[in-house]
Amino acid sequence: MKKQECKLCFKTPLSKDEIGINKKMLGADVKSFFCLNCLADYLECTEEELLDKIQDFKDEGCTLFK
Amino acid sequence: MIYADNAATTQLNKVAFEAMIPWLLDEYGNASQPYAFARKPKKALAEARATIAKCINAQPEEIFFTSGGTESDNWAIKGLAFADSDKRTIITSAFEHHAVLHSCYAIERLGYPVVYLIPTAAGIITAESLRNMISDTTRLVSVMFANNEIGTIQPIEELCDVAHSNGALFHTDAVQAIGHVKIDVQKLGVDMLSASAHKFNGPKGIGFLYIRKGTNTIPYADGGAQESSYRAGTENVASIVGMAAALKENCDGMDGHIENIRALEHQLLSALSDAHIPFARNGGDNTLPGLISLSFAGADGEAILHRMDLAGICISTGSACNSENTEISHVLQSISLDEKLAKGTIRISLGQGNTLDDVDKIVCALIKILK
Repeated sequence: MKKQECKLCFKTPLSKDEIGINKKMLGADVKSFFCLNCLADYLECTEEELLDKIQDFKDEGCTLFK
Repeated sequence: MIYADNAATTQLNKVAFEAMIPWLLDEYGNASQPYAFARKPKKALAEARATIAKCINAQPEEIFFTSGGTESDNWAIKGLAFADSDKRTIITSAFEHHAVLHSCYAIERLGYPVVYLIPTAAGIITAESLRNMISDTTRLVSVMFANNEIGTIQPIEELCDVAHSNGALFHTDAVQAIGHVKIDVQKLGVDMLSASAHKFNGPKGIGFLYIRKGTNTIPYADGGAQESSYRAGTENVASIVGMAAALKENCDGMDGHIENIRALEHQLLSALSDAHIPFARNGGDNTLPGLISLSFAGADGEAILHRMDLAGICISTGSACNSENTEISHVLQSISLDEKLAKGTIRISLGQGNTLDDVDKIVCALIKILK
């Protein structure tokens, strides 16, 4: 599988959680991704809020995070 | 936090909350016992039953307390199916709540034929579609009063006439509607009606099933003699009292609530239009007050929901993604909503606690996400 990089800071590789949270917050069809830090900046929220979201998705059994 | 998901649940009414307190603390007696300590809870149950009956123009003995809408729907469908061995067919609609649909799937597995009516693109089950499918083997027709995702109010009186003129009984799942629009079981002619308290500012875990006198059904739970031996189990007096108080509050103030919520709804839709956000409202005009299903072509409904959540706003969506694809709700599929619109569908459901300021903030957040 191709290693994804953050489209802003070029951090690579992005984790499965980072790719999953991009899809959840920006749309399932999104093709380029942010790292957690840049995504939090883009969405004007904190990394903690995104981590809480990721945990919620994991608790629901969302396969994007497995 | 702005709560705009009142179709999922509602805030407990303060009057209902206060009415519940004595039955949780001091008056904890079992209403079925024969001693003096049980007199007050027994009387409270009778009063709650009478209050609820009055709100829907029924007789008190036609109100059966349950644990909520799901139990009421299960009882209505399975109770009627199992009570008559000659007429076995059930007719329902494809966009019912899962409490009805899954009950129908369950009896289908036991060999009962079930017919699923398809709503129009506007989200309506027409009398004509029912006339085309009903026969002398039909035992029950079950169509929801108002759809929980798109809010469309069904022509229940007309559908009920079709059912009765063909010798079938009629049940309506009114969970989403009761306490928000006027419901008169005599005028509608329904034989059974399901309700859940937490949808009309009552407590969770309590509801009722209206069963017209003379309707041949079977008990939902066997055991003690509670609910005329039709639904055994010690009564949840506090919740029943809370439910009755909440329904009365909502019914007494209904005209004012509808007017306020319709004004908020109008403000929300106008502001979106003024901001040149292209959207389609599902269900048209004949919808429950405050229940607004909006589709944004090309957007992702689930992403909108989560970004609204980050902004402190609770709404709902009509689609959810997994790793492979986006799953569109059975309701949006049943009205054949274009896939691009369906994937970009959200549900905003305004309630009594919402204000114009809330609406402005909701619109601002939507504009930020969608532009």
